[in-house]
Amino acid sequence: MGMIHESRAMPEIDQRQQLSRQGVILTTVEDLYNWGRKNSIWPLQFGLACCAIEMIAASMARFDIARFGAEVFRPSPRQADLMIVAGTVTKKMAPQVVRLYNQMPEPKYVIAMGACAISGGPFRQGYNVVNGIDRYLPVDVHIAGCPPRPEALLEGLMALQQKIAAQRLTGAGRPRHLDGAQSGEFPAPRLEEHDLAPIANPQIWRPTAVKE
Amino acid sequence: MNTPPFSPGLFLAVFAAAAAVFALAPLAMAWLWARTFSPPKPGPVKNAIYECGLESQGAGWLQFKSEYYLYGIVFLVFDVETVFLLPFAAAFKALHPAACVAMLIFILLLAEGLVWACAKGVLKWE
Amino acid sequence: MQTLEQIKARLEAGVPGAQIQIVPNAGPANQPSLLIDAGHALPAARLLRDDAEYRFDYASNVTGVDWPAKVTKEKIKIKRVVAGLEKEVEETVEKNSPAYLEAVYHLYSMARKEGPLVLRLRTENRADKVTLPSLTPIWRSCEFQEREVFDLFGIVFEGHPDLRRILMWDGFVDHPMRKDYVAPTQEVAA
Repeated sequence: MGMIHESRAMPEIDQRQQLSRQGVILTTVEDLYNWGRKNSIWPLQFGLACCAIEMIAASMARFDIARFGAEVFRPSPRQADLMIVAGTVTKKMAPQVVRLYNQMPEPKYVIAMGACAISGGPFRQGYNVVNGIDRYLPVDVHIAGCPPRPEALLEGLMALQQKIAAQRLTGAGRPRHLDGAQSGEFPAPRLEEHDLAPIANPQIWRPTAVKE
Repeated sequence: MNTPPFSPGLFLAVFAAAAAVFALAPLAMAWLWARTFSPPKPGPVKNAIYECGLESQGAGWLQFKSEYYLYGIVFLVFDVETVFLLPFAAAFKALHPAACVAMLIFILLLAEGLVWACAKGVLKWE
Repeated sequence: MQTLEQIKARLEAGVPGAQIQIVPNAGPANQPSLLIDAGHALPAARLLRDDAEYRFDYASNVTGVDWPAKVTKEKIKIKRVVAGLEKEVEETVEKNSPAYLEAVYHLYSMARKEGPLVLRLRTENRADKVTLPSLTPIWRSCEFQEREVFDLFGIVFEGHPDLRRILMWDGFVDHPMRKDYVAPTQEVAA
């Protein structure tokens, strides 16, 4: 998996680099806005299982998520920008995960960390495991691993930063938080007698078709 | 002494205006930004009471403990006493000895009030 | 620790009317267990905890086992008269094992540094008579573990101070660790 690199073919970027070598820095409002946002992502303190230990390790001295501006883990969703779903999402916990996401103000992002949050992981056939949090929430970055090392979490954070840097302020492709028409809330599943209902949100999750 | 060419009031007015602009400009920019780019999207789901992801049950109103009010009143009394004590202490040396006696009586009255409050159990936190 | 035979004899002497069996467990673990009937489980457990010779004061694990009804065929040789001659022939004999749920307790003695002693309690059947006495009044550590056995197997522990589900949510109706539980499909029609 490679990281997204900025295209060096765009002439305005070249011009900017020439000017910056001579001490003149040019930027756009969009770049400034995105730069401020991506270098101060505040995660929600949200660890579910073993991946949470790796997330905690990433916030400690050796791996130091503070370099990326993300060391302030908020206990309340009202002050957080990023929800790192670290660990197995059990069916009993799934409605609470979605409700916490709904209570975060926009712009908000989700990182699915570890095999369990991506697809259910080693417990995929379990009776109490949601096969991936992307059945109910829009996930921006998936980090594979069981558990992924703290460096992998940091690479995922950098991928999210690049995604934020590429977001536009206006136009049809602008992100959800700048578009008043798109709602940032998603329905929380209900705990029914035998299973969660629904088992996936059809607006977000479409199963991959396997050609027979 | 030459009078300055501009009246001091003019400087004050300019600086006061600059201070107001510094305070209000970010607020105005934020409001303009919200209007142009980032519309607020409140809703009942988003504004629901935070309870670690659970749906809140019951009312959120709690009954305030009356002990808080009593502590506030006792504090107020002694704070006003301090307001009187401080200038007295500053001008202590220049005052008549009778002033010291008067101040002692003042402190004694307030101390008696404190002893009464203690005896009544107002300061016990149960 | 005394042998299982000695413990069984002591329990039969100390708890009159108790029916105790030794259940062998051939295999690398070689941990045979004591099967106690449900009616006398509480006094037997109290004796095991309080007796000076045993002092089993710590129940480290409570788990459940689901035994569905099983028919086992065994080939045995018996003497039969075949065509006038007595011969040894092989015959298949069917053995019906009854269906029941089982709760298994692992006991240790912290005071005497002994253990483990494995106890088994069996219910009458898997369908409607699924009650067992709770050993939580004897060993406090059984509280959460018996809740888990109730949640996953469906054994109802009488005398438990707070018997409710612990892993699955309260509105859930199945017992997932039973052999006939089928997990609902997680596949969404494309």
